Amino acid sequence: MKKATFPDILSTAILLYCFWLLITGQLVSLCKGDPNVQVLIYGVVISLGVAVFSSRFFIHESPFYLYNPVKWVMMLVYVVCVFCIELIKANLDVAFRALNPALPVHPGIVKVPVDLKSEYGQSMLANSITLTPGTITMDIAEENGQTYYYIHWINVTTQDHKAAGDAIKGRLEKGVGRIWK
Amino acid sequence: MDTLLFFAICFAVLALCLVIRLVKGPSVADRAVAADSIDILSDMALVLYALYSQRAAFLDIALVTAILGFIGQTLIAKYLEGRL
Amino acid sequence: MALLYVVYVLIGLSVFFALAGVVGMLRMPDAFCRMQSSTNIATLGVLGVIIGGIIYAFAFLHNGEMGVKLIVLGVFYVVTVPISGHAIAKGAYHHGVRPEKDMVCDQYGEDLEK
Repeated sequence: MKKATFPDILSTAILLYCFWLLITGQLVSLCKGDPNVQVLIYGVVISLGVAVFSSRFFIHESPFYLYNPVKWVMMLVYVVCVFCIELIKANLDVAFRALNPALPVHPGIVKVPVDLKSEYGQSMLANSITLTPGTITMDIAEENGQTYYYIHWINVTTQDHKAAGDAIKGRLEKGVGRIWK
Repeated sequence: MDTLLFFAICFAVLALCLVIRLVKGPSVADRAVAADSIDILSDMALVLYALYSQRAAFLDIALVTAILGFIGQTLIAKYLEGRL
Repeated sequence: MALLYVVYVLIGLSVFFALAGVVGMLRMPDAFCRMQSSTNIATLGVLGVIIGGIIYAFAFLHNGEMGVKLIVLGVFYVVTVPISGHAIAKGAYHHGVRPEKDMVCDQYGEDLEK
């Protein structure tokens, strides 16, 4: 495990402080113009203290990569335009499968190749796959420089690695690839 | 206004239905998933009741329940994998 | 007033998806398929209530604190639900939970035996 440097701690502390503002309700008070100064200062101290201990679990690559408005716009486009449509489609599919009297399920675990290089990108894609009903990422493995996911799929139509990958995550992977390399 | 209360009761009844799976479930994983789903459904009932009664304090309880459910679920998973 | 019906429709949709998830959890044949149905509860069953609640809190109650807390709750669910789902699926497989009905293919088990 690598040692925590100052930029790592700072970027973690900024994120923690945003969460502090949201949870204590001070963001609303700031917008109204009468913030409680004591609570704001406590937040700085506590978020710096927590960041010193936790930044080495949280930051693995360049710390300020995501503090970039262009990335925020890309992430918003990904969440609203790509991910939500896939989510609603998969939800309707699984809901009608469960309500169907014949219960048409063909479960199986398939192995799927993934081309993303960044660790954050891989975990974001795995979380997106798990969040769409009908597919759960079970494990990540690496063989000969190629990353593979093992995915439990409720309706296996093909057992070929490449074709199954296109069917499960074709559009999600393109969307994530625009945010992380 | 009462419609919110009606929906909250719907969620509570759904959570009660899941107790069948919690009692019956053949494996530990079934019980853990059912317990987590009961947690989420009762959380939603709590959110709707907070909107109905207009008290923000219930939302804090909902947030704490969500955090505890997540930690418990991850702990059970780690135990099942044999790494605890 | 039309906005109030939008809120009710969103919450009603989420009740429908929660119902489908509960029915799936009671009917599905094996443990992993039940996990898929529980994802159904935890995504649209939650997000409908959260989005409807945000609209309701800002437009009808004029209560910014409740709206912000609902946003935090929604973000928290979207971040943590896949993590616990992934962890419990992997833990159950390593613990020895296997479906009673045969799976179409099990490429994970084949690679674990190697």
